[in-house]
Amino acid sequence: MVVWKDLLVERRSKETLNALFFFGLLLLFVFQFALGPDRDRLAGTLPGLLWLGFILSGLLGLGRTFVVERENDCWEGLLLAPGDKSAIYVGKLAGNLLLMLVIEAILLMLFGFFFNLDLAGALPGLAVVVALGTVALAAVGTLFAAMTAQVRARELLFPVLLLPVEAPVLLATVKATEAVLLGETLGSVAHWLKLLAAADVVYVAVGVLTFDFVLEA
Amino acid sequence: MPDNWSFVAAAYGLAAIVLALYWRFLVRREKELDDAGVVRQELRQASSESEPHAAGRGQLP
Amino acid sequence: MRRLLGGLTLAGLVAGLVMAFGVAPREATQGNVQRIMYLHVPSVWVAYLAFGVVLVASVVYLVRRAEAADRLAHASAEVGVLFTGITIATGSIWGKPTWGTWWTWDARLTTVSILFVMYLGYLLLRGMIEDRERGARFAAVLGIVAAFNIPLVHFSVLWWRTLHQPPSLMKPGSAAMPDVIKYALFVNSAAFTLLYVYFLTRRARVLRLEAEADA
Repeated sequence: MVVWKDLLVERRSKETLNALFFFGLLLLFVFQFALGPDRDRLAGTLPGLLWLGFILSGLLGLGRTFVVERENDCWEGLLLAPGDKSAIYVGKLAGNLLLMLVIEAILLMLFGFFFNLDLAGALPGLAVVVALGTVALAAVGTLFAAMTAQVRARELLFPVLLLPVEAPVLLATVKATEAVLLGETLGSVAHWLKLLAAADVVYVAVGVLTFDFVLEA
Repeated sequence: MPDNWSFVAAAYGLAAIVLALYWRFLVRREKELDDAGVVRQELRQASSESEPHAAGRGQLP
Repeated sequence: MRRLLGGLTLAGLVAGLVMAFGVAPREATQGNVQRIMYLHVPSVWVAYLAFGVVLVASVVYLVRRAEAADRLAHASAEVGVLFTGITIATGSIWGKPTWGTWWTWDARLTTVSILFVMYLGYLLLRGMIEDRERGARFAAVLGIVAAFNIPLVHFSVLWWRTLHQPPSLMKPGSAAMPDVIKYALFVNSAAFTLLYVYFLTRRARVLRLEAEADA
């Protein structure tokens, strides 16, 4: 139910999606300017840039998970909600997943367009890697967003907490994306995928188990 | 291979300084808090001793 | 009690130094620079121990709401960050003459750096929440997430640095370690563990006194 609520809110005020789309576009420009016209150097850093784009967008998007509740005084509603608060977590997580996957799909298309990539063959592999990585990002991001929403310097604290935790995920996804873009099979990066899957399980489990403690009245 | 004792000294020296500083921080903070605790105790005792006098003073106007 | 611990710690540290400089031999390939390892390795061991304690204390706090557990977690995280910093610094100082560079993204330094930043964030979070109870709760959750992240960090970094890469950059001396070096490492690790416990108990006591002062 929480998912529906969030989706409705999103549709009514499309700010987040639009802003993130625009942000992604800006990132692409910046990457281009920062790395110069050298095509080979660009090609080598592509997987890293892609995930950098994903994570930076994620920081903005995930950080806002509870902004609606906070700004509209619905926070008490969340705290006093009966039953298992973990349901709120799962709902928010699903909403965030959807948001992130949409943004990532758009970013991927933009990347393909601007850097003239042929992504067709790599798409299924990419989909797997992106899905696994995004779950890891969203799971921890949703949990930390709930925490930092209740703290003073939330815009600072959220990235500071999220980024180090996501470092292994970043490593894994970039390596796996690299392989997929080079046309290798998913099997060759099975260890990275297993790591991502393990991370997903751990993060979601910890999120579900500890969310109650984060939303205590 | 040259022995690079300066590096060894730097590493051990740095570790020693950092650990010593932390130890000093702990000792000082503990002393500060212990002294404050003693002062609070004394104040509490002093005020509890003066209580009966005030109570027997008579009605308030 | 604390005097005993303090005395033991001091004795242990002295013993460690004796082992590191008196007993352990000059290493074959690296020369005497290798002696920095007797600082670097025990430090990283203590850091892991400290963060493990943070995990246990965090869980205990969430389950039982024992303030003492919260203080233990806080103290352990702080001491852990301290020793992680020492690990990084000594690793870097060792790296300069050995590899010719102050910094390298080798497996251990990278892993430890990520841990450093993670738990620094933990301390930052604690510092930024005024409400004691909420701070304790959030820190506990973060402590759990961070601890479960450690193996993920370890493996991801290890694979990142070693897979598809020739092992020529591997730590020298990791092949066959003479027993003497192992003993020296053990003694120093034991000494550092004592030091950790000593710092931990004192820091936890300071936290308790501070809590009593605020009450």
